Amino acid sequence: MKALRWLPVLALAVGLAWAQGQQPIKVGALFILSGNFAGYGKSGSQGAQLAVDEINARGGVLGRPLQLIVVDDQGNPEVGVREARRLVLQEKVDVLFGIDSSSVSLAVAPLTDEYKIPLVVTHAATPTLTEQCRPYVFRTSNNARMDAWAAAALAATLPVKRWANIGPDYEFGRVSWQDFITRLKQLRPDVEVVSEQWPRFGSTDYASFITALMRARPEGVFSTLWAGDMVIFARQAKAFGFFNQVRYFVNPVGAALEVLGPLGKEAPEGLLVSARYWFLYPNTERNRAFVEAYRKRFNEYPSYNAQEAYAGMHMLALAIQKARSTQAEAVRRAFEADGGLTYEAPEGRKRMRPEDHQVFEGLVWGYTKHSPEYPFAILDRMRIIPATDTVYPTQCKR
Amino acid sequence: MDLGFYLLQLVTGLAYASTLFLLAVGLSLIFGAMGIVNFAHGSFYMLGAYLLYAFTRGQGEGFWWGLLLVAAAGMVIGAVVERLFIRPIYRRPEEYQILLTYALLLILEDLVRFAFGAAYRSFPLPPTFASPLFLLGTPFPSYYLFLVGLAATVALLLWLFLQRTRLGVWVRAATQDREMLEALGVNVPLLYTSVFAGGIALAALGGAALLPLQAATPGMAVDAVIQAFIVVVIGGLGSVWGALLGAVLMGLIQAFGILVLPEMTMVFPFALMAMVLLLRPWGLLGRPPAVRT
Repeated sequence: MKALRWLPVLALAVGLAWAQGQQPIKVGALFILSGNFAGYGKSGSQGAQLAVDEINARGGVLGRPLQLIVVDDQGNPEVGVREARRLVLQEKVDVLFGIDSSSVSLAVAPLTDEYKIPLVVTHAATPTLTEQCRPYVFRTSNNARMDAWAAAALAATLPVKRWANIGPDYEFGRVSWQDFITRLKQLRPDVEVVSEQWPRFGSTDYASFITALMRARPEGVFSTLWAGDMVIFARQAKAFGFFNQVRYFVNPVGAALEVLGPLGKEAPEGLLVSARYWFLYPNTERNRAFVEAYRKRFNEYPSYNAQEAYAGMHMLALAIQKARSTQAEAVRRAFEADGGLTYEAPEGRKRMRPEDHQVFEGLVWGYTKHSPEYPFAILDRMRIIPATDTVYPTQCKR
Repeated sequence: MDLGFYLLQLVTGLAYASTLFLLAVGLSLIFGAMGIVNFAHGSFYMLGAYLLYAFTRGQGEGFWWGLLLVAAAGMVIGAVVERLFIRPIYRRPEEYQILLTYALLLILEDLVRFAFGAAYRSFPLPPTFASPLFLLGTPFPSYYLFLVGLAATVALLLWLFLQRTRLGVWVRAATQDREMLEALGVNVPLLYTSVFAGGIALAALGGAALLPLQAATPGMAVDAVIQAFIVVVIGGLGSVWGALLGAVLMGLIQAFGILVLPEMTMVFPFALMAMVLLLRPWGLLGRPPAVRT
């Protein structure tokens, strides 16, 4: 009858295991929800929420519902780290998620080793994040180097030689230009650089940069101005007749709805732009259903950040399902197994590269054009850059 | 090509100076005539941009009426703010003004965020200015020329007002000796309300005039007030013409500095300010503080 003494313990263990099965899987998301970039954080958290609701409607993951906790990191690394720690220690989240700003992503990444917790980044685009080869950091969106390589692949096909740059004066702008021009010179050794302009990030007056650029008479201009910077630059450049003089204006982040929306009918036509996702591409059942669901729920078109967060959440759920656990090590193996986790996102196939945990995917580019159906410019003459054109070598080993 | 180009740089520099002047002249006047350091000055500049957006519903056609309405609204808002918030603290130490106007800055920023959201609000170039003018084969953006004209007109009217009207004479007198003005039986409270309302109206007009080239954001206010302070420190706090000189210097240094040292554009205004502070701590056209005996 000694066993009877163990009965309460056994009962407790069974009870705990059962309760564990009902416990939600907590996902702690960091987005910019205040300040000038709040539009990005808003669409990111909306996309993530839509995915969570879909997954829970199917019965969750491992029989447990997903619970999304969204906090504002203000795009500030100190705030990001503080909030991430709070999510891990107080909210007891199983996974960290999201992150818009590159500097926040680099500041939060070390916590994944400290707490043995996975981090799935869906927006921040600095190549450095995945070049650090951290075991529990995953990026399900493409990064700035892939964008720059895609831009170079396109630029190499254009009938122009004189290139210039205007980009924000911080890591993202500088590294993107370096990646772009290095790659372009590999593909087309005859190109030359005639001017580089570096306005402060968040500038409101681009006049002197615009005139200095025009003076150099470039035929093609590469730019990584994004968000409000691009909105303001485009309006001022238009007043100078800049876009009439420059034959090709190439911007890998210019097709964001956060740019085209505010520009409305004022957007110059014929800019060669991309975003990491464009809601009218591809014209598939899957994508149309996603756009429809998103519009019904939030009453706006899904921006790239919305789709990336949505797809990232689904990829995370797939990995947890495959790992049968939320443990960081198990999730890592699930992401890396079978040549890397793949997922059919609204934008098309995403594949995780096992070595550096960077997702590769095809990218859509196009020329801006106005149409009567939309209050903003849309992409015309679309050019699809296959994932293979953006696969750069990595130092990471698994 | 080159002459046209330098002329174009000059115009863009002056256009930038024009918005700086509209922004800073009120700050300078308010300090000169009332002794108030108004940290919330940039917030009224921001408010001007948002009000233009609200009055015209973001449509370029309503631009001219919108500008007039913004200037009028700025007058009213300035008068109300002065009566309700500024008046009780004239006799208090300066730290009260700084606390109060800084609080106003924070409150207005959040009010705007609440009313318009955090996203950019933008406004198209008015149809009148849609295409550039060509001079010497160089495209000159017509809106920049308009800005220069607007600021020149304002400066001229301000000069006429200060020189030729009784109220203007009182304002100038107030910048020199406020106690004496009261002793002479001038209605100083009314004078203060007018100066504050006028200064705020100019800042709001400046913000509205800049909207077609930029976008209204809740973060505008802080940037604007920093720039305004740089301008008045260079020109001399309390001097209308100092504000004009400071704005023009800032505009030109920005426009031509970029040709010489493009990677140093952020440093120029501060370097200029530091130089002025070292050589003439009271500003180029400011007066050194009177020695109290």
